[in-house]
Amino acid sequence: MSSRCRTSLLVLAALALLAGCDREERRSRGNPLGEAALGEAALGGPRVSTLQPGVPIASPPDARAADFEENAYAVSQGQQLFRQMNCSGCHAHGGGGMGPALMDDRWRYGGTMEQIVASIDQGRPNGMPSWRGKLTPQQMWQLAAYVRSLSAQPRQDVLSGRAESESATEPPTLRSREPMVPSSAAGVKGTTQ
Amino acid sequence: MTRALRGLGLAALLGGCHGIQSMTEGAGFQGEQFSGLFTLFLAVTGFFYILVILGLIGGLVLRRRADRDEAGEKTARIGLVGWLGAVLVGLTGLTVASYVMDRNVAAASPARPPLEVQITGNQWWWDVTYKNGVPGQEVRTANELHLPVGVPVRLTLKTNDVIHSFWVPALGGKQDMIPGRTNALTVLPTRIGSYRGQCAEYCGAQHAHMALDVTIEPLAAFRKWWAAGLAPAAPPATPLAQAGYRFVMTQQCASCHNISGTPASGRFGPDLTHVASRRSIGAGTFPMTPGHLFAWVADPQGAKPGNHMPYIGLNADQLHAVVAYLEGLK
Amino acid sequence: MSSERSWRVSHAVLAVVAIAIVAIGLIFLFTRLWGPRPPHTTEPPLRAYSGSTGAIAPRSAAPADDGQWTMAAKNYASTRFAAANEINTGNVGKLQVAFTFSTGIAKGQEAAPLVVGGTMYIVTPFPNIVYALDLTRPGAPAKWSYRPKPLSAAQGVACCDVVNRGAAYADGRIFFNTLDNRTIALDANTGKEIWDTQLGSIEQGATMTMAPLVADGKVLVGNSGGEMGVRGWLVALDAGSGKVAWKAYTTGPDKDVLIGAGYHPFYAMDRGHDLGVSSWPPEAWKQGGGNVWGWISYDPERRLVYYGTGNPGPWNSEQRPGDNKFTTGVFARDIDTGAARWFYQTTPHDLWDHDDINEQILLDMPVAGRMRQVMVRPGRNGYVYVIDRGTGQVLSATPYGYVTAYKGVDLKTGRIISNPAMEPKEGRVIRGICPAAPGMKDWNPSAFSPLTGLVYIPHNNLCMDWGSFEANYIAGTPYVGADVKYYAGPGGNRGAVTAWDPVHARPVWEIKEDLPVWSGALTTGGGLMFYGTMDGWFKAVDQRSGKLLWQFKTGSGIIGQPISYRGPDEHQYVAILSGVGGWSGAVVSNDLDTRDATAAVGWGGVMADLPKKTTAGGTLYVFALPH
Repeated sequence: MSSRCRTSLLVLAALALLAGCDREERRSRGNPLGEAALGEAALGGPRVSTLQPGVPIASPPDARAADFEENAYAVSQGQQLFRQMNCSGCHAHGGGGMGPALMDDRWRYGGTMEQIVASIDQGRPNGMPSWRGKLTPQQMWQLAAYVRSLSAQPRQDVLSGRAESESATEPPTLRSREPMVPSSAAGVKGTTQ
Repeated sequence: MTRALRGLGLAALLGGCHGIQSMTEGAGFQGEQFSGLFTLFLAVTGFFYILVILGLIGGLVLRRRADRDEAGEKTARIGLVGWLGAVLVGLTGLTVASYVMDRNVAAASPARPPLEVQITGNQWWWDVTYKNGVPGQEVRTANELHLPVGVPVRLTLKTNDVIHSFWVPALGGKQDMIPGRTNALTVLPTRIGSYRGQCAEYCGAQHAHMALDVTIEPLAAFRKWWAAGLAPAAPPATPLAQAGYRFVMTQQCASCHNISGTPASGRFGPDLTHVASRRSIGAGTFPMTPGHLFAWVADPQGAKPGNHMPYIGLNADQLHAVVAYLEGLK
Repeated sequence: MSSERSWRVSHAVLAVVAIAIVAIGLIFLFTRLWGPRPPHTTEPPLRAYSGSTGAIAPRSAAPADDGQWTMAAKNYASTRFAAANEINTGNVGKLQVAFTFSTGIAKGQEAAPLVVGGTMYIVTPFPNIVYALDLTRPGAPAKWSYRPKPLSAAQGVACCDVVNRGAAYADGRIFFNTLDNRTIALDANTGKEIWDTQLGSIEQGATMTMAPLVADGKVLVGNSGGEMGVRGWLVALDAGSGKVAWKAYTTGPDKDVLIGAGYHPFYAMDRGHDLGVSSWPPEAWKQGGGNVWGWISYDPERRLVYYGTGNPGPWNSEQRPGDNKFTTGVFARDIDTGAARWFYQTTPHDLWDHDDINEQILLDMPVAGRMRQVMVRPGRNGYVYVIDRGTGQVLSATPYGYVTAYKGVDLKTGRIISNPAMEPKEGRVIRGICPAAPGMKDWNPSAFSPLTGLVYIPHNNLCMDWGSFEANYIAGTPYVGADVKYYAGPGGNRGAVTAWDPVHARPVWEIKEDLPVWSGALTTGGGLMFYGTMDGWFKAVDQRSGKLLWQFKTGSGIIGQPISYRGPDEHQYVAILSGVGGWSGAVVSNDLDTRDATAAVGWGGVMADLPKKTTAGGTLYVFALPH
């Protein structure tokens, strides 16, 4: 066939391949047989402290972490849940209030997907409620993906560009990614007990 | 053969003319006006359509004749003038009819109807609140519209997320629900019966499953329904229903749903206080039957993928208990 | 040739028309950009105010000063006036630090220290430690301390920093509230716990932050949680046993609100049966708010307690059509039974979180020629109310700052008229609402001086943008339904101190402050008025002119209530807790991110400079003249 015909066929094939990309795959049901929020649930979830005596053991990331964090549908569902479950009542649009700021680089209890899901699931001593049984695990992972997006951690094409509410802050698509700095609960002011 | 075909075609045509979502069988004053106007338009434009077709056929046939002569020219000119005149008359008539119909509809919309129903569109369900001016007597329900026959009702239309559109063909025309804006529509139901409405503006993956069950009933029955709606939820009667009550109050359900008289006061999802007395589940996705209720509670994502009720993963005991409780919420 | 000319002419005409359109458009754009123009105010010159307005505090509610400070408001009339004049306008320039005490808690310090005999008592923010300082010893070391150990999780349901507004002393006991809803009585000498009564649950989102009022053997306390859908109440506990003597809810049926045969509101809008239910959608009153987290005054002659109720829940008013009784209003109740005598709803169907919990100063003053027994309330909604304390009639309501949200108060019906252009609508952002949700003045109390007869009001100058959305109720989580952000009102200053003439209902002088003034006010017999700023300056100004006579930079912003007492050495002392926080200072005390303008429910943008001006702290400063 002619070279022109071949080029157009190649282009069409490339497009067909790209169409198979699953960034926008929407898993509406989550694990159909039900799941625990955290893979290591039997062992209490991810470690809260960064300190391990002796040589530290590296724990493998939960398979769901990348799944949800790289999925724009999960981030936008998390955005809706963030408002509807009153997270924004305590954390505002990432700036904080009753609860700490989520858009900066300080994470009292860790900022990986697993650690955020653990904070939502278990609650935290200084006032974060425990949502186990009040949210499904899939909802918690979606919320964690959204929380990560407040400090622009996911890829820019996954981030939500619209606030769906009165504009409060620059959209994360325009901000640069905050560095991930784990800090311990002892560094938190006012926790004298 | 042609007779059978003709019959089939006619049946197909008329199939859209009957049923609970019919535009031609008006159940409201506005709906009747609309369908009357529609019929008039159909008749007039149909008449002119036939004339045009006849003229086209005539033109094709007469083309084979000899060239036109003086007399033919004159006939053509008279015909043209006559045709223009007829069109003008027809258009004027239609305009006048349309204006008259519009004025009729406006006259039937009093400034302050005694009954107001606030309908808020959500993805993908209708939040319906009935108001009669006394805040303490508001009734909030979902996915169903009860109206008293013969009483003008003002529908205030809002939305919580994207643009929806309220459309009950039997009652009247469509009206969009636009974020940040409150639209109003007045309807005057005239015929008792059950009808169906539909969201008429694409609003997401489940736009097709966003139906509204409309019931028009006599005023006395409507008042009785309203009083029942004000009552708090029926307490669970059997031990199984009590177990279901405990589950609903302590687990995910109470985060989103409101059941009056219980600690569950969420507003994110539809009000469930009298859910068992509704005609359908999931805004028209399923009819309200025990089996379908099981299916919905067990796997709402399988029934209506993408809707905002999550898959919770109840085990068999929990499922039986919850459905037993919900079935008691009449 | 002519066609070319006409071509030129037509193009010239087109150009002129185009320029005219652009010019008109630019003029239109610029006039719109200016926004609402505030009325031109003439600032009263800083000349000395001579004489007195004629207002006095009634003796029964404001007895002669004994040099102590036994309740946060100083006395039942809430004058916050210390009669001592050792420190006066002549010598205040020499005022210096006598001693300090670090509370160890770097959160918002809103409390008023108490002084009884030779002991000072302070209550810290969470974890609500009570310290008793021995004023007889040099350096005032702590005599004892009491740790109530409130639940840590209570910090998660406290809307506006984990503050505490102080304790109350009566009959050898100290009474105070903990964040996790307990009222505790301690022996004032030894610090031993006498009783501990649990009054609410943090699982419902309730907390307690207010300073109790003790009168006639009853300890009056109220709860917080208007942002959490908590149903508000006022409880009277028996001071001896700690048992509940009576409990008056703010919403619900008459039997809960203690409305009975003795209830005689002045205005028709407050009359009716079960208004606490019928003025709400069904069941909404159960999450209705109306919390009593502010100030209570007491008239011993009439035996009536006066207090205001907080905002209705949620903030999104479209979810609660109706007047929402009995939120954002003033109650008068019989102290023995709690039965309501009268009620006035300051802001029916509140649209902008204009709680009505501010202080009411009980005064006897001339109104339209004759002496009336009134209360003066600088309201959150921007109006100073003068209300007859016997009947609940509003004698005057005058704005003390820039107001766009309301058009005025109709004194015939008592109803405030809101500006329809400023009413929140779901899905829309309404801009330029003044005063903002923290109000023209929030909880921080004003003071009265019998020397001048003026009321000294430390307050805000803020406007806001508001966007409503439907709020979801989940017990123990916020129930708000609005995104808000605040900014400075006309003039650019975010705060002010106004000396107000209650008799003639007009300002006498005004001090503009850069930051909102969130501290309480103190007046003294030496002609001074004390207040603190959010960046840490503790200031003394002349009561008559507002002239700054002395200031001292403390370690952290001041949001507490200053007091003045006579020490064991017979000298006059002035004390203030320094430590920024509270709702306005949460940006610093909670380490928030000011890139979000809605942080701390609206403060993130307007307080973006606060972290540069102050850090968190928690230290008591006590000042005296050198001796």
